[in-house]
Amino acid sequence: MDPRMCRQISSSESLPDAEIVEFEESNIIVPQESDDNFLLEGSPEPQSVTWLDDDQIDELDINLDQNNLFFHRVDSADIIYRNKKKKCKMVGKYVMGDVLGEGSYGKVKEMLDSESLCRRAVKILKKRKLRRIPNGEQNVQKEIQLLRILRHKNVIELVDVMYNDEKQKMYLVMEFCVGVLQDMLESSPGKKFPQRQAHDYFTQLLDGLEYLHGQGVVHKDIKPGNLLLTLDQTLKITDFGVAEALDMFSPEDTCYTGQGSPAFQPPEIANGAERFSGTKVDIWSSGVTLYNMTTGRYPFEGDNVFRLLEAIGRGEPAPPPRCVGPALRALLADMLRRDPALRPDVHRIRTHAWVQAIPPLEAGERLVNPRSRRSDEHHNSTVIPYLVERHYASAQEYFTERDLRHELGDNGSRTMSTAELSDGESQCKRRWNSSCGRLPSCRLT
Amino acid sequence: MFNPDINDYQLTSIIAECCGGVAVVYSALYKPNNQNVAIKRYFVDESKEKEKANLIQQDILTRKELQHPNILSYLTSFVHGQELYVVSPLMTLGSCRDILDRYFQEGLPELACAIILKDVLLALQYLHKQLFVHRSVRASHVLLDTNGSVKLSGLRTAASMMVRGRRQRQLHNLPPPDHDNANLMWLSPELLEQNLKGYDERSDIYSLGVLCCELANGAVPFAEVPTTLMFTEKVRGSRPQLLDCSSFPEPLDDGEMKSMYNTDSGVGDSADGVSRLRQVYANRKLSDTFHHISEMALQRDPERRPSATQLLNHAFFKQIRKTDFLPSLIGRVKPIKADPSDMSALLLQEKLSEMEIEKQTEWDF
Repeated sequence: MDPRMCRQISSSESLPDAEIVEFEESNIIVPQESDDNFLLEGSPEPQSVTWLDDDQIDELDINLDQNNLFFHRVDSADIIYRNKKKKCKMVGKYVMGDVLGEGSYGKVKEMLDSESLCRRAVKILKKRKLRRIPNGEQNVQKEIQLLRILRHKNVIELVDVMYNDEKQKMYLVMEFCVGVLQDMLESSPGKKFPQRQAHDYFTQLLDGLEYLHGQGVVHKDIKPGNLLLTLDQTLKITDFGVAEALDMFSPEDTCYTGQGSPAFQPPEIANGAERFSGTKVDIWSSGVTLYNMTTGRYPFEGDNVFRLLEAIGRGEPAPPPRCVGPALRALLADMLRRDPALRPDVHRIRTHAWVQAIPPLEAGERLVNPRSRRSDEHHNSTVIPYLVERHYASAQEYFTERDLRHELGDNGSRTMSTAELSDGESQCKRRWNSSCGRLPSCRLT
Repeated sequence: MFNPDINDYQLTSIIAECCGGVAVVYSALYKPNNQNVAIKRYFVDESKEKEKANLIQQDILTRKELQHPNILSYLTSFVHGQELYVVSPLMTLGSCRDILDRYFQEGLPELACAIILKDVLLALQYLHKQLFVHRSVRASHVLLDTNGSVKLSGLRTAASMMVRGRRQRQLHNLPPPDHDNANLMWLSPELLEQNLKGYDERSDIYSLGVLCCELANGAVPFAEVPTTLMFTEKVRGSRPQLLDCSSFPEPLDDGEMKSMYNTDSGVGDSADGVSRLRQVYANRKLSDTFHHISEMALQRDPERRPSATQLLNHAFFKQIRKTDFLPSLIGRVKPIKADPSDMSALLLQEKLSEMEIEKQTEWDF
């Protein structure tokens, strides 16, 4: 999960080359002789080698506080780290990086196009897992078909599709994005955006929806979890797994199936209607999304899916708090009308007063930065450590805590960006290898 | 004013094929006033290659907007048959890349480099003031003329820092890819990294540093290494160098030489060529100010790189005197001339004059 570059080895003397045993990350290794003073750096046993990762070190600290109230001095030169091997893997012309996210179908990883050096994201689909999801395989085929045709600034671009028959895997290569609105909302104060920011995303969502509806495509699963942001804050609508291309020759936009996320479903689907207007489903879900982005709440709630759908079916949304202002309240009420025929279409929404004027950033409000749970502050490429392994294979494997502190100027447990680290004048290989990626939090010396 | 009509131009020779076969550049005579011009002829099927068509359109729009003695100007453009013609002034000595390949495999004399780099910096200073990032500063985009003028071209990939009427503090996207991705060799580490910090006009200064090495060494730094290694080297802060007796004290053996420096630029590809180049580098001394200016421009941290204006005041340019005339410093370079034996150009001309085109339309931008 967490790309740990280093594991700790503790030993009293210099590293006993022969005695290195590599353990799985999940194992906590406790020295055999005693339960009380485990992790004894200066242990008389020269071969007591302990492998730890960040979580284990944290755990040990807690345990030490409770059980072990004596300090044991260890020279920083005696704490030795080993670079965790980042084995460079290629799929086609792409170099694989770290995991960006995980879904029921498989993982999403970062990739680098080795020819154009363009950052990409890849959705890795395992046939075995897809079979277990209802309509899994059909949905993926449909998504690929749709994404191949669609091309718009605010719709995720499918760059490439690769298959590995042997491993029964499918790779969907997409544009690289740095964050999901859902993750950003969860990390922000009040789980909402300032109106200024929500307005920016909402108008981009409208641009994307206008294009999709113009192309006769209904997304049917609009929600903050399916809205991504690129490095330059361009919003991308993603996940067309349950989207539907409407019959081009039919004057209506009738759909028959809804498979979207419950909290964002309109009353007609909650009430089990057999047929309903497709585009108005997207309008409703966009309304719930806007409601959620600006208030941090949902218009409908329920203890379980059944109760939730029951509440939606009644169609009386919780009124948004007064503080959002009359213009936004009116827009939300409009988009969340129970009768789909009364809901405005994208063009009407565009002319709404709240959409027309950019709301100012109120005093005390701060824009929320795009983030994802797994990347550093600057969203540096996670492929670089793999490339380093590939191109500088002879790099030094071991380094000590003293080296590390020397490199970092006594700020040992900080995550350094690769850019920060290579800013210096020094070009030697050891410097890079000892300090790229995440550093373990070691508070023992 | 130049007429947007193919019948007013007589194609005289082919100068180069470019953009991976998408376009050909011809020299031509503008009949109404007997002036030599360059015509770039694009084969673009707009229905299929909308993105390429957009890039050409962008190039023309940008050049229309920009007026500077060191930026290749735009004269006119028109559609004839299925193709688009863009007319520019003819730069008779060609691009610096061609000059390096044909006449100066070991690099240009330092004074010639200084004169060229100064003019490129003037162009960049202007572009940056207009809030453009060029993103493609390289020898093939620096054109020279027999009258001594130096002009920057390649505005196709330039990006404005103004997006939807707002000034951006940084950009994030890679420039549009060229056919063989060769453009990446000149790009700055922060641009290639594609992280949230983004890049700005100081990225061009890094490319200017790479251009320093290209002009002085003849070869492009990183040309012989895999693209991904070039990327990691740049991100790790490794800087290309000017090659002379200080940076290149002992001649390397042939294998090492080949693996480190691109000598694969046409004529000097033999082992003899390599050892000759090696001798040239080891025996020459470039000035300290030249080394210094290229090091300043190639700094890993964009914050530390000087601006175009600051670089123009660098001591390196003090060696230029008013009487120095670039074409005589590179005397062996022969200007592009009308080539009566260039049958393909002549045939094309014939074919074009036979074609009955109902109405000439100027591209309306």
